[in-house]
Amino acid sequence: MNRFRRQFFLGSFLLLVASVLAIMIHCRWSRQLPHYAYLTGWVLLVAMFLLALYNARKRLPFLPLGHSETWAQLHIYAGFFTVVLFLIHLNFRLPTGWFEGTLAWLYALVTGSGIAGLLLSRVLPRRLATRGGEVIYEKIPALRHALRETAEALALGGETPSPTIAEFYVRQLSGFLAGPRNFWPHLLDSRRPLNALLSELEDLRRFLNESEQATLDKLTQVVRQKDGLDYHHALQTTLKLWLFVHLPLTYSLMICSVLHVVLVFAFAGGAR
Amino acid sequence: MSEQLPAPGFDAQSYERPNQGWICGHAGEGKPCRLGPDHRGRCCATAECTPVLEIKPGETKGRWRCTRSGGVCESGPRPDGSCCRPIARCSPVPTLRTRRGQLTRAVVAATVALLLIGLGGSWRGTFINSGALSTPHSSAAFALLHSGTNQANQTCTACHPAGARGPSDLVATAWAATPGPFQLGQLARARPGEPTALDASCQKCHPNHRLHQPSVVRDLSCSFCHAEHRGTGPMAAPTDAHCTICHGDAGVMAAAAIKGASLPPASESALAAGSMPSSALKRTETATDSRTATGFTQVIHSFAQDHPEFRVHTDKLVDPDTLKFNHARHLTSETIPQLPGGRKLDCNSCHQPDVAGSYFRRINFERHCQVCHSLQFDPETPALTLPHGNPALVSAFLHSLPRQYADLAARSGITRTAEQNQFAQEKLQRWQTRVATGETFEQRVFFSTATTGPSVQVGSVIGATHPPYPGCAYCHEVQAGAQGQPEITKPILLDRWLVHGAFNHAKHSGVACLKCHSAATSQATADVILPTKDSCVTCHSPRGGVVDSCATCHGYHRKDTK
Repeated sequence: MNRFRRQFFLGSFLLLVASVLAIMIHCRWSRQLPHYAYLTGWVLLVAMFLLALYNARKRLPFLPLGHSETWAQLHIYAGFFTVVLFLIHLNFRLPTGWFEGTLAWLYALVTGSGIAGLLLSRVLPRRLATRGGEVIYEKIPALRHALRETAEALALGGETPSPTIAEFYVRQLSGFLAGPRNFWPHLLDSRRPLNALLSELEDLRRFLNESEQATLDKLTQVVRQKDGLDYHHALQTTLKLWLFVHLPLTYSLMICSVLHVVLVFAFAGGAR
Repeated sequence: MSEQLPAPGFDAQSYERPNQGWICGHAGEGKPCRLGPDHRGRCCATAECTPVLEIKPGETKGRWRCTRSGGVCESGPRPDGSCCRPIARCSPVPTLRTRRGQLTRAVVAATVALLLIGLGGSWRGTFINSGALSTPHSSAAFALLHSGTNQANQTCTACHPAGARGPSDLVATAWAATPGPFQLGQLARARPGEPTALDASCQKCHPNHRLHQPSVVRDLSCSFCHAEHRGTGPMAAPTDAHCTICHGDAGVMAAAAIKGASLPPASESALAAGSMPSSALKRTETATDSRTATGFTQVIHSFAQDHPEFRVHTDKLVDPDTLKFNHARHLTSETIPQLPGGRKLDCNSCHQPDVAGSYFRRINFERHCQVCHSLQFDPETPALTLPHGNPALVSAFLHSLPRQYADLAARSGITRTAEQNQFAQEKLQRWQTRVATGETFEQRVFFSTATTGPSVQVGSVIGATHPPYPGCAYCHEVQAGAQGQPEITKPILLDRWLVHGAFNHAKHSGVACLKCHSAATSQATADVILPTKDSCVTCHSPRGGVVDSCATCHGYHRKDTK
């Protein structure tokens, strides 16, 4: 059993035990303690703050606060545990008010985006590794630019540029090389756009002489490289974009949660 | 597959770190400047070098010297000391991290703005309302009652003092709450049902609210049982958990018993008065409406589990009514004739529901008995019957028998007085052949229980004539007074026996009466034919599947309070 599996089973086991314990405590004490909802609310809020601290930990890599991987594991399993805490705090009922409904929706979106991010971070890196190659996300525009320059030199430069290749480049390839393309097909792991383009390149071959065919081979290689770059761009963008939902809504959730605490104590006056 | 990607061309000196906020605008062309943008995203490009002014001894102006790292340029610095080779400026591009930060700040700002709008606007009450109010607290009448405290047409302030406060005051109010936000120990140790600050708001409209039995050890908070903001309609009924918090606690019940023992009887009767409808109060005089010596302090967790047997059974109460009535005979006897219309005598013939259908109207002679027991005394003259309800009237009726026959003749269509008198004389003469004297007859009317006569049948609605009247004592307790005059004990008809619990017969209409009430075997009036607790538990229990909560039968508040 490798380390990852060991961590997975240990984390899942601890999560299960904690969840069962929490539900048992709920069954035992929810009717005994008049301020049970207050207490579960505090536990949930503290748990949410601890989860949010993971982001702060990432901003302070120089501090000896443990491995980021350990924090990530804690974040994942504690995140799942807050789902149980959240349901307990709601007493397994749907909230009814506008504000509390919004709070619940925010929590659902943050949790949902977190789970989506977890799944993406499990699936997409594997797909990237399967496809091969390593590309730094920030370098992709420069690499794309270099590929475009290479293709332009092949299609339009040289001593005797082929009009057939030049015309095809202007008509088909210049747009393809100008920026990231085929985001959704790459995300869905479809090679149909690439195959279509390669088919067109292959169709062009019968109109070319030997030297032009050699140029075409090089262009084909550039097209494949650009497609691989687009694949990395699509998947790496997706890997980063889910945080655009998760993080802002987390802050929004924390603000609303603090206000919720203020409103509850200001209005309930100690009542349940 | 890696050959399908271009070489990474890693350059340690121009490596863009992922935590950089901005990247050079020329990076997309693969030619980022070495300096790069600053942390605010401003391009830092100036020139290829910063010329240095060198002043040799004896010179006054000196010369600017090029300091370009790649070698001195041909043109050299300008006369004003600036480099002649400025670097093309770019528009730095924010990294994804920076864009995410911008979005996060925008979302935070939008959240704070929306919350301030929600808290400060006229829809504040709607915005922070945790759920729809119950119908009484959301009615126009309630709003009118609290119109002075309303804010923006909302009635939050009627119950919540914080409803009228601004955002900063809300924080202060929350901080001053009891228990406060950070008083976790108090939050954890609080006992269920402890009065809260909200109770004062309830008391504004429900003053002098007498909550429960006078022997309760401590009063409970209104909100302990009545959870508001849980939807429209009436407030939800308390659950068993609310009742068993005291009634399921042996310690609390023992303390209540001790306190109850020290209470004056007046409070006990007041207690009983609050536990039953006023209509039943006037007529209910049995022991069931008073407290037991220990009060109602038996530990109870659920109806099926340990609710005590009804006191009518445990105390072996008997019906104090002096009227002689045999349920079994009326329901099962072969001699009981059918009612008009061919209907068979059954429970519904006499026990007719009240307007609400919960209980039954009181049994009435004219409505329920007279159809069979017509009080006719002359077999030949069935139309003439004795009056009912007052022995003096009966006696007067008998003493004026000639007049009664004459009046009967008048009612029968005989108009002439002489003919009426002749009719009366003939009737009296025939009647006198059957009775010895008038006094004997009067004694028989009041005291006889004999059922002999033309027919042994006591009551009938069939045949040409009604059977003879056996005598008041057949049904009533008749005693001779000091002067020998008959005295009939007034019947005691109890409206309800289980006065501490509500019951709705309409909801039980699907169950045959005899399933719960053993009327078919009850022969004595003294029998209290109420069902036992076990009979109720058959259905009202988790196993029976019918609701068995405390609130199904019992109320918490005393009825003499608002």
